[in-house]
Amino acid sequence: MSKPTTISNSIKSVIIDDDPFIQDLLIDKLNQYFPEIEVLGVGNNGKEGILKIQSLQPDLVFLDVEMNDMTGFEMLSKLEGIHFKTIFITSYKHYAIKAIRFNALDYLLKPFDLEELKNAIKRFKKNHSKDNVPLALSNLKTKNISEQILVLKTQQGELHLQLKNIIIIEGDRNYSYIHLTNNKKELVSKTLSNIEDLLEGKGFFRCHKSYIVKKSHITSYKNSSSILLSNGSIVPISRRKKDVFKDWYENN
Amino acid sequence: MKAEQNKTFVSLSNLQAISRGDPNRMLKYLNQFKELIPERLEQLKHALSKEDRKNIRQIVHKMSPQLQFFGIQDIIIPIQRLEFEYETIPYFELESIINDIIYKLEGAMSEVSKIIKTQFE
Repeated sequence: MSKPTTISNSIKSVIIDDDPFIQDLLIDKLNQYFPEIEVLGVGNNGKEGILKIQSLQPDLVFLDVEMNDMTGFEMLSKLEGIHFKTIFITSYKHYAIKAIRFNALDYLLKPFDLEELKNAIKRFKKNHSKDNVPLALSNLKTKNISEQILVLKTQQGELHLQLKNIIIIEGDRNYSYIHLTNNKKELVSKTLSNIEDLLEGKGFFRCHKSYIVKKSHITSYKNSSSILLSNGSIVPISRRKKDVFKDWYENN
Repeated sequence: MKAEQNKTFVSLSNLQAISRGDPNRMLKYLNQFKELIPERLEQLKHALSKEDRKNIRQIVHKMSPQLQFFGIQDIIIPIQRLEFEYETIPYFELESIINDIIYKLEGAMSEVSKIIKTQFE
């Protein structure tokens, strides 16, 4: 027999979204499948969200990434302290997903697949004290992209890698080796394509099916078919990428 | 033309799943559709007349989850296209896509009104 949920072990939550349909749908799904989650209040925009968080002190906030008065990140940056976990809610392939994935934040796609909701709640329960939102806010504020920190989940926990320390990423089927400065190397269970997506627009280039390189670590590419990097490694440039690489290298 | 008139725009399977047979809950979502969509269609028409592409993207972005929920599959792909190509899509194409969205959503609204009338009144 399952243990009845009491107020003392309930999870206090707040929903912040300017769409009444999304508010109702999320409340109904939480009520039906997660009786342990108590929705204390709803904010109809960022401004209301801030007030709700301050007055209700939730453990968990479901936060829309784009509201009519501000973005979810802008709202979070206006708070004095963040003492709750955030699950971002967004529509399919919103541009903010890039920032969410780069910082390994939790998110749900509207209109909420039940399995995804279950997994997000499970992750919250397992790891509710850990939140990368402060790091994400700091990354968003950092103007020098190389100073930003990429967060990658691993079996042991998380890797926090400053972009300027990444020299090469080497793909090996479903895994990738990240070669760092100081001769360090990390293995992550992500494909090279996954990492290429995360690093788009951050000064990296996929020069070969097995390699991504960081521009600031390129020492030379004299013979136009290979690149010499700051750690002494030489990586090939695939034939079909030569012109694109030259263009990227000279114009970025 | 006749086939188009008889076309079903809305699917109620998600609504039935979330409502679990509760007619009040079903009605709540149907009424919400009836209230929110016309409002957003008006905003969309206005944004189109002003050629306000950013606003068009925001309106369709906002509508998209509710349309997915109501199973209006025909317009999900054009809506996603508007969300990503709103800055570059030629105006005549933008206009044609939005007019098609408006036409289909008006069809969906009349279907929802009919469902409310026949099943809940």
